[in-house]
Amino acid sequence: MLLAVKNLKTYLSSGAEVIQAVDGISFNIKKGETFCLVGESGSGKSITALSIIQLIPKEICHHPAGQIWFDYRHNDGTKEQVNMLDLTGHPQRDIRGARIAMIFQEPMTSLNPVYTIGDQIIEALQLHWPELDYDSAKQRAIEALAQVQISDPEQRVDEYPHRLSGGQRQRVMIAMAMACEPDLLIADEPTTALDVTVQAEILRLMKELQERRGMGILFITHDFGVVAKMAHNVAVMRNGLIVEAGSLQQILRQPKHDYTKELLAALPENMIRTRTESGEGNRQTQATVENKPILVAKDLKVHFPVKKGLWARTASYVKAVDDIDLTICEGEIVGLVGESGCGKTTLGRALLRLIEPTNGTICFAGTNIVPLKRREMQPFRTQMQMIFQDPMSSLNPRLNIATTLTEPMAIHGIGSNQEERLDLARQMLIRVQLSESHLWRYPHEFSGGQRQRIGIARALVLDPKFIVCDEVTSALDVSVQSEILQMLLDLRTERQLSLLFITHDIGVVEYVSDRMLVMNEGKIVEQGLTDDICHTPQEAYTQQLLAAVPRLYG
Amino acid sequence: MSSADTPTARSAGASYGKKIMHDVFSRFGAKLGLTWIAVIAFVAVFAPFLANSHPLLLSINGEVSSPALSFLTSGDVTVLGVFICAVALYFLRLSFTKNIVVLAVVGGGIALLSIIFVNPPQLTVYEQYRVNESAANYDWVIRAPIPYSPKDYIREQGDTGLEAPLSNEHRSHLMGTEENGADVLSRMIHASRIALAIGFIATGIALFIGVILGGLMGYFSGVVDMIGMRLVEIFEAVPTLFLLLIFVAFFERSLYVMMIIIGVTGWPGYARYVRAEFLRLRQQEFVQAAIVCGLPLRSVLFRHMLPNGMAPILVAASFGVASAILAEATLSFLGLGLVDNPSWGQMLNQSVQSSTFNWWMAAFPGGAIFLTVFAYNLIGESMRDAIDPHLKRKS
Repeated sequence: MLLAVKNLKTYLSSGAEVIQAVDGISFNIKKGETFCLVGESGSGKSITALSIIQLIPKEICHHPAGQIWFDYRHNDGTKEQVNMLDLTGHPQRDIRGARIAMIFQEPMTSLNPVYTIGDQIIEALQLHWPELDYDSAKQRAIEALAQVQISDPEQRVDEYPHRLSGGQRQRVMIAMAMACEPDLLIADEPTTALDVTVQAEILRLMKELQERRGMGILFITHDFGVVAKMAHNVAVMRNGLIVEAGSLQQILRQPKHDYTKELLAALPENMIRTRTESGEGNRQTQATVENKPILVAKDLKVHFPVKKGLWARTASYVKAVDDIDLTICEGEIVGLVGESGCGKTTLGRALLRLIEPTNGTICFAGTNIVPLKRREMQPFRTQMQMIFQDPMSSLNPRLNIATTLTEPMAIHGIGSNQEERLDLARQMLIRVQLSESHLWRYPHEFSGGQRQRIGIARALVLDPKFIVCDEVTSALDVSVQSEILQMLLDLRTERQLSLLFITHDIGVVEYVSDRMLVMNEGKIVEQGLTDDICHTPQEAYTQQLLAAVPRLYG
Repeated sequence: MSSADTPTARSAGASYGKKIMHDVFSRFGAKLGLTWIAVIAFVAVFAPFLANSHPLLLSINGEVSSPALSFLTSGDVTVLGVFICAVALYFLRLSFTKNIVVLAVVGGGIALLSIIFVNPPQLTVYEQYRVNESAANYDWVIRAPIPYSPKDYIREQGDTGLEAPLSNEHRSHLMGTEENGADVLSRMIHASRIALAIGFIATGIALFIGVILGGLMGYFSGVVDMIGMRLVEIFEAVPTLFLLLIFVAFFERSLYVMMIIIGVTGWPGYARYVRAEFLRLRQQEFVQAAIVCGLPLRSVLFRHMLPNGMAPILVAASFGVASAILAEATLSFLGLGLVDNPSWGQMLNQSVQSSTFNWWMAAFPGGAIFLTVFAYNLIGESMRDAIDPHLKRKS
């Protein structure tokens, strides 16, 4: 057994409070095996990984029980079972990096920006093989880069991290982790910050490396699609405990524990299934798609000038949104999909004139809103709203919920006095499944899902016709995501809302939208009915994108 | 819900600001700093009752009078009035902005009234009380804890200059006397007013200008930002100390001129902070949401952005108070401060005038400057830690 975790408990203390982050879990990883720990945020999966490699500061964490047995291969080839919790100093550092390597979630910050990528790999190499001289270490670094399929490794080895894209940086991180040929690789959400196409490549690369090297991988993720692609064995974690463990097929096909069933049922892929199976009208508004359009954008352009030189001459433009035509009908949900940097958020904000369009017209209910002045925009502000991505930053931390909800109403003359507005706010909170006592609380007292509900309530108090939903569920756990999506669908039928649903998650778009647009480099690549595009994509880019989506049963 | 039970419902949630303040003052350093500042503030407010040659109460032939009260200046009356008003406001628990407005109005009113109506006698003879007391002319007399005014040179007792602490058997001078014979402790107590006032008022002026200009620069960016930043750079290039020296050399030596100069040259730092905060906040989703809801610019700027950007500015301000105190001390030490009223820096200057080293004249005012600046720095440090989410997670 390469790694055997037995009844591990990790308690974190913050002040007088003790958090039982990991509360007695056991699992084993064999050589050549990929073991996936899945769970929602706060389930303790990352703490487990950090406990194994002993990266949590001793002052804030202690292990009341448990052992972590690791099969330590000495440099001379002899093997010894060691308990990671007992190790300190020299042997601990020897194991870290050389025998157990780790890759982190955020490739943008996990490389040191002031050293070349080559230097960073060489440093790790020379630390573990002091006899290695610089030139041969550099040679090995180039090999390591070639191994993770970075083109031109001879040149790239001397480059600084800022010259590399997110996917390339994650490759470099993997190269660094692999350079010392570890027996166990711990990957903590390694692809969460990456686009699907890049994610697919990184996952393929990790599998290849594993086959070649025969190392064990502890893979931590919240995404069941990735689990389905990677795992041999899976453990589902919740509140610091493993609720269910087993082989991949077992967990995906015959989940036993209720929590696993709930989690799987909350995945958009499965939600679509249950919807079609139950024969419920798949697209409630399929018939009404021919409704009259509420928002029509024509030749919409948003260009950001790139200034250069002494006199800040405009050298070129970043074409974030480039000549986009778009129509959204009443009561319709339009999904807008694209990878990061494709301009989808800019488009959403430009439609509400949060960013001034460079060119083009936006007709809302027949009026072109682009040339309108601030004051003339006012009546349209009630009708066009936005729900934001990050529930942490979308509410003003200094104002209580009552103020957040009633201030816009007061400005637009909804409700004749404060008492009436508070009543409206209360009704709205109940509509989004919060209680009216939440009115006097402040944002920091709520969880992410609750804040997102408040964000929805804030958009709805003005009784809008059209809402831009900018990645509303990407910061949420799947179970919360499914609740929020269901609520948006209900609200749509209730109030005849039109939604522009911006996301990078194709599963979500497939579930909620009637029509969808695929965007790339500021242009719309393909548009049409969601079912058509998802099943028979026409454009090469769309096909590539859809192929990269990790599917549960595919 | 009826409006009657609303207040209890309101108190269910603790606001972010209160949380931060609780966080700040649960730190040891901040407690220490705050305690010292509170002591200084108390001493400054009640200086005329703590150290005064005029007895607090005395009775001549059954006629009771209070020379201390009748010799209060209009400045003393204003300080006392504002203090009482502040204490009352603390117990009334109004909103922050209301507090500020009420305090400003009451302070201004009292200042105006006291300038018109408070006329202390022009001629002050400190010796008369001691002479009368030793001649047993009074039925009884209640003296201040330190029965010497800062400018009472105790002339009737001959040369009383440069006495070490507690070296005289007839009089007790806890901190000795200076070269003219006045009590050092009394001078220290009265000088604390200048230290506090210069810190708060100079920083207040700088904050006022800095927040408004910085806020406009950050929110509008573009041309406004460019002009504003050039203005900031110009003001940062003004050598404050030399400007002060020039002003003091050519015009009258006034505390108010000092406050204004320190304030007017100190704003660029705050403007930079506010600008950076506003540039960051403008991109935040709750600000975008406020714009989407069609809220007016006033509300977006002052309700949604300023309170969220205030924390780092308060940190900078608490360090700013410390540096304003130091600037005044430096000027006074160079002999360019106030002429007749004592200040800590001027007392340090006195200590080097004499050919012998009189430790009590250097140690006490020097220590007071050190402790006050240190206290403000401690508070600033704790505030910075409290608003820094990275540090908080570690602690």
